[in-house]
Amino acid sequence: MHHSSLLLESLTRFSSKPLASLEVGKHLYWQMGGLKVHGQVLITSWVVIGLLVIISVLATRNIKRVPTGLQNLMEYALEFVRDLTKNQIGEKEYRPWVPFIGTLFLFIFVSNWSGALFPWKLISLPEGELAAPTNDINTTVALALCTSLAYFYAGFRKKGLGYFRKYIEPTPVLLPIAILEDFTKPLSLSFRLFGNILADELVVAVLVLLVPLIVPLPVMLLGLFTSGIQALVFATLAGAYIHEALEGHGDGEEAH
Amino acid sequence: MFDFDGTLPLMALQFLILVAVMNAVFFKPLTQAIDERDGFVRVNNSEARERLAQAKRLAEQYEQELATTQKQSQSVIAQAQAEAQKIAQDEISQARRQVQSEVMKAQEELESQKQSAFSALESQVDTLARQILEKLLGATLAS
Repeated sequence: MHHSSLLLESLTRFSSKPLASLEVGKHLYWQMGGLKVHGQVLITSWVVIGLLVIISVLATRNIKRVPTGLQNLMEYALEFVRDLTKNQIGEKEYRPWVPFIGTLFLFIFVSNWSGALFPWKLISLPEGELAAPTNDINTTVALALCTSLAYFYAGFRKKGLGYFRKYIEPTPVLLPIAILEDFTKPLSLSFRLFGNILADELVVAVLVLLVPLIVPLPVMLLGLFTSGIQALVFATLAGAYIHEALEGHGDGEEAH
Repeated sequence: MFDFDGTLPLMALQFLILVAVMNAVFFKPLTQAIDERDGFVRVNNSEARERLAQAKRLAEQYEQELATTQKQSQSVIAQAQAEAQKIAQDEISQARRQVQSEVMKAQEELESQKQSAFSALESQVDTLARQILEKLLGATLAS
């Protein structure tokens, strides 16, 4: 389909082992109201969403003053994302953004780790293979566009049309760069996540292909680490962009 | 690898729905729980602090009261001692006066008896002198 997948397919031809194979660019296509969608991505994303919602419901079903078990774990997660948001957006305005950034972090984190930990390959599909939802460019671009929407929304709600002042505020000379930033932000967000997760899964797959035992383990551990870091980076940058939109160039300096 | 299609808007939509759902089932209740616990701890803490201050105040008050009571009792003791001493002094002096007056009275009585004895003797002096004279000069007188 693409030259990169052709290269990988030529790699697989060396090995006839059935337990490892590489498939990139193959998708399970579903037709949904005239739109073609990647079924395998949606399936895993539903699993991830279901997992998140079920754990949340279980954790908050019986809230106690002294937390135990699942409630304790989820309170830890909540305080983690709350601190993250507070660090980025600031004490004054972080509260309404905790659900968005927190869900971003949790969704990406659980997606990445599900790709690294859950043996999706055991479930065979007619075409394509199940993997982390975040190794599909559609998912990461969707998340990045949501982030862009979020920071535009934040800016407009705070300052109205005065939000556009930030494009020409220090000097109109930087206007093209300021406009370019709005395109590079989602682009870098989505490609960073997509590239890291896909690359990690490919590295693991290639190593498993070459040496099936022991050797891929350190790379898998590194993959777990990268997955966490990427989720953190995505959420942190989303928070930073929202903070930037809220503060702008003019009045924000003394608030830092 | 970079084939965009319907997955993108669908994913964005379901992510936004996930944000809403997570806000309802996870962020809101747990944030509320954490805030409530914070409030509970803060209230308890301030209450305990207040109670501690009150206890300290009470202890101070008690100590003060104890000190004043001690002072009072000491003064009462001192007063009672002084009173008792005064009473004893009074009684001693009264007894002394009584004794003195009795002594005086006895002396006076003695004096008066002495006086009466003297006067009685003086009244008898004439007859006694005559008797002595008669005894001495009886013969001659008679003769």
